[in-house]
Amino acid sequence: MCLAVPGKVISINDADPLFRTGKVNFGGIVKEVNLAYTPEAQIGDYVIVHVGFALSVVDPDEAARVFAYLAQMDELGELEE
Amino acid sequence: MTKEITINPVTRIEGHGKITIYLAEDGSVSDAKFHVTQLRGFEKFAEGRPFHEMPSLMARICGICPVSHLIASAKACDALLGVRIPPVAAALRRVMNLAQLAQSHALSFFYLSAPDLLLGMDSDPAQRNLFGMLSANPQLARDGVTLRQNGQQIIELLGGKRIHPGWVVPGGVAEPLSAEKRDQILAMLPNAIAITQQAIHWFKEQLPRFAEEISAFANFPTLHMGMVDRRGNLETYDGYLRIVDAEGNVVEDRMTPEDYLDLIEEAAEPHSFLKSPYYKPRGYVDGMLRVGPLSRLLAANQISTPLANAALQDFRQIPERQSSFYFHLARLIEILYAWEEIQRVLNLPDILSEHVRAHAEPNAFEGVGISEAPRGTLMHHYKIDKHGLITYVNLIIATGHNNLAMNAGVKQVAQRFVRGDRLTEGMLNRVEAVIRTFDPCLSCSTHAVGQMPLHVQLLAPNGEVLDEIAR
Repeated sequence: MCLAVPGKVISINDADPLFRTGKVNFGGIVKEVNLAYTPEAQIGDYVIVHVGFALSVVDPDEAARVFAYLAQMDELGELEE
Repeated sequence: MTKEITINPVTRIEGHGKITIYLAEDGSVSDAKFHVTQLRGFEKFAEGRPFHEMPSLMARICGICPVSHLIASAKACDALLGVRIPPVAAALRRVMNLAQLAQSHALSFFYLSAPDLLLGMDSDPAQRNLFGMLSANPQLARDGVTLRQNGQQIIELLGGKRIHPGWVVPGGVAEPLSAEKRDQILAMLPNAIAITQQAIHWFKEQLPRFAEEISAFANFPTLHMGMVDRRGNLETYDGYLRIVDAEGNVVEDRMTPEDYLDLIEEAAEPHSFLKSPYYKPRGYVDGMLRVGPLSRLLAANQISTPLANAALQDFRQIPERQSSFYFHLARLIEILYAWEEIQRVLNLPDILSEHVRAHAEPNAFEGVGISEAPRGTLMHHYKIDKHGLITYVNLIIATGHNNLAMNAGVKQVAQRFVRGDRLTEGMLNRVEAVIRTFDPCLSCSTHAVGQMPLHVQLLAPNGEVLDEIAR
């Protein structure tokens, strides 16, 4: 099962709508992501990314909730080991 | 257990799909393994939570295809409630599931696979991507964006702007459809249908250039599982599971969700954390299954919509349709079906009915929900205690069902394209491309745009690493 980890858009390069890319920060790791599918994405927004394409924008509350779930799951995973 | 499998977001993002290729003494490929890490701890995490939280919880954790998980999870919850949801609620969920299918297939075909198809497997990797595709065939790239947007817009019109709509709920959907939204959706469909038909035409024109890939891309007999309706036609939201063999004979028919425990067994393989389900009566590994668009088309008698059915009949004329290369064509045919079927459902006379939710307390301690996600059959199985709190969760995802076949496919490609003791770019591309035909959902990684994170090792019979490529 694939996890959806939201990443924060930190910069945008929108020369052409189809080439629209941005730098997205995932917990410290910064990646170049294609933003053609999320024309509404702005700097500071959280996006869900799949193989280099931002699939959707999630609002900050939503992202916070996902991070809280991930953290809880991580703790459970540690306990199991 | 090693640290690798924890779900710390950072390690997940940096995680690789690792492939090991083993050489025999004579230098030929003796075996290949595709190692996949899977999220653990989810079952534990869900325990003790109220069952009605499951749909939105699942959609949040699996945000790559939230709608698919919403649907399967809500269906498992319907089973816990013991209700038959209002027909219009089922129709609206069906529309959302089809929109998800279309948008996900559009991403897979146009953005992830079309560069290989357009520019060739041996083309310059610096060009063989979306950007190269834009200069070679900009219309194709734009069409992909349009189709994906149409699917996404339909999901948003139904479920609201947020990525994790709380619209699909146990017992039905939260809100009826308005006439205005229905008309907005219907207005998109003629253009979407025309674009999809052009893409099918374009894909068929490319086929002669890919004879070698067709023959070696997971081109072997397996069982295929897919959902069908009462008449045996293609179905994605609610119906029966059918399993057919390589010759098209029906091996198992009219399976209900409850039957899955008797018919599907999950093997744990040492090289992979992803469980490997197979068809129990045939045993491991003869019970190897494939699921997803290709399998659905091979399992169904017909498609209930005219244009997609005509495309299906054409597809049936292809001798090598067992090759996973044809997942691509199957994806396009399913996109066409999705638009036509959405059109049919939204024209139903009572589609705007306000009766869209059944209310009940839990009436069963156990519930199974099955739907067809874009990548294939998705199963959610829950058990609850008398307070409605989750005590057990089992999920079988499409990528899991395809795990054995993906491994066999990687091996087949390695045997055909690995020469000597070096890994070449063209070989790596084909390994990546065969995995991509299955459109696995394990690529959460954000490596270079459109590229799968891969780490390939070529091992000598004595275990020595002869070559290694990571990207």
